[in-house]
Amino acid sequence: MLGRKSGGGNYAYVSAKVKAKKTSLMGDDAYGKMLMMSLPEISRFIGESGYQKEMAELAGRIEGIDLIEHATYRNMARAFSSILHSSQGELRDMMSAYLTKWDIWNLKVILRGKTYGADAESIREDLVPAGRLDSTMLDRLLSMETDKEIIAEFGRMEHLEVPPEAINAYKADGCLRDIEDALDKLYYKRLLMSTDRSSTPKRLFQEFIRREIDTINLETILILKTEGIRGDDVMKYVISGGREIDKKLATQLANADSVSAAVNDLAQLDFYEDIKEALGANTGSLKDLVAGMKRYHIGQAKKFSHLYPLSVIPVIDFMIHKNIEVDNIRIIARGIESGIDRDTIKGLLVI
Amino acid sequence: MEADMGMLAIGAGLAVGLAGIGTGLGQKDAAAAAIGAITEDKSMFGKAMIFVVLPETIVIFGLVIAFMIIFV
Repeated sequence: MLGRKSGGGNYAYVSAKVKAKKTSLMGDDAYGKMLMMSLPEISRFIGESGYQKEMAELAGRIEGIDLIEHATYRNMARAFSSILHSSQGELRDMMSAYLTKWDIWNLKVILRGKTYGADAESIREDLVPAGRLDSTMLDRLLSMETDKEIIAEFGRMEHLEVPPEAINAYKADGCLRDIEDALDKLYYKRLLMSTDRSSTPKRLFQEFIRREIDTINLETILILKTEGIRGDDVMKYVISGGREIDKKLATQLANADSVSAAVNDLAQLDFYEDIKEALGANTGSLKDLVAGMKRYHIGQAKKFSHLYPLSVIPVIDFMIHKNIEVDNIRIIARGIESGIDRDTIKGLLVI
Repeated sequence: MEADMGMLAIGAGLAVGLAGIGTGLGQKDAAAAAIGAITEDKSMFGKAMIFVVLPETIVIFGLVIAFMIIFV
């Protein structure tokens, strides 16, 4: 009994820390204010509300939209690293496994950057060193000459192997889609394999990840269906390991004649009631669907973090909220810079 | 008579000891959470301290029981 939590992880400390951090995230009113501002005003506003350090560090080198984007990413990476370094035991293992998604994100950025001939400095500025790979390791990847070397080195660093068929498909058409898709599938496969169900926090974590896979699969299937794609062309993008959307149901949804037919098949899901509203809003608009699914995912994280405060879920809940805050700031800044009207920008925000 | 007094002393010791262990277990998580919150927001110090000391009441109950066993 005494050793239960000491060996398991410092849940109380980290949960309280992230809950305190979460209170300093921007609220709906802050987004409303930013929508009324110009780009320099947004820079000043975020520079006064939690992003001071990063804005000060980067202001001498870059400006405008680039300054906002890099400062927000850098701030997010620091926040995640700080939580990861404060955690211990199985909590650290779970967080570290979850944050591998940023390593994969960084690999995608490097590969895309190299493919389009971007220089190392501009690729580096788009990296988010929030995962297991620190800046030094990412620099090593950046210094590699060919994509093959980058993928092989990444595989060595992360102890994973990108399927040869994905690499061959990339070589054949020069399109990164197959590799990116394979990396996403590998990430979730490894995440599920790395957590057994030996303790309640681990069980909750796995449950949450499987729900996340369901959300991603459903979003993918419905988006592809909206585009008129069906059958095996949809199934190759489906990630295995979901909680409710298994292979059989995924195939059924993929083969449905239309989006509305697929939506009818969803009525058997436990979480249908929760996503009904998001699906109802899907009147051919992908924007509403994606925002609706994101809201559902946030709602799940929020609910789980309240139900199980001494688990990894409050940490993930904070990470999701922080990521959304950064995305929202970037959407507002990009939208205003491009001259998009305020209402359209507001519709793109996840609040 | 001496044996009875010995049993009472053991009972009193257990009352304080077990209550102390319970308090320790309760305070362990409360204090860790309080430190976590204070590192992010120093203004939480006052509230956090109240939650940290709340489990102390349990050991006081144990102490009261121990006194009652021995003196009442």
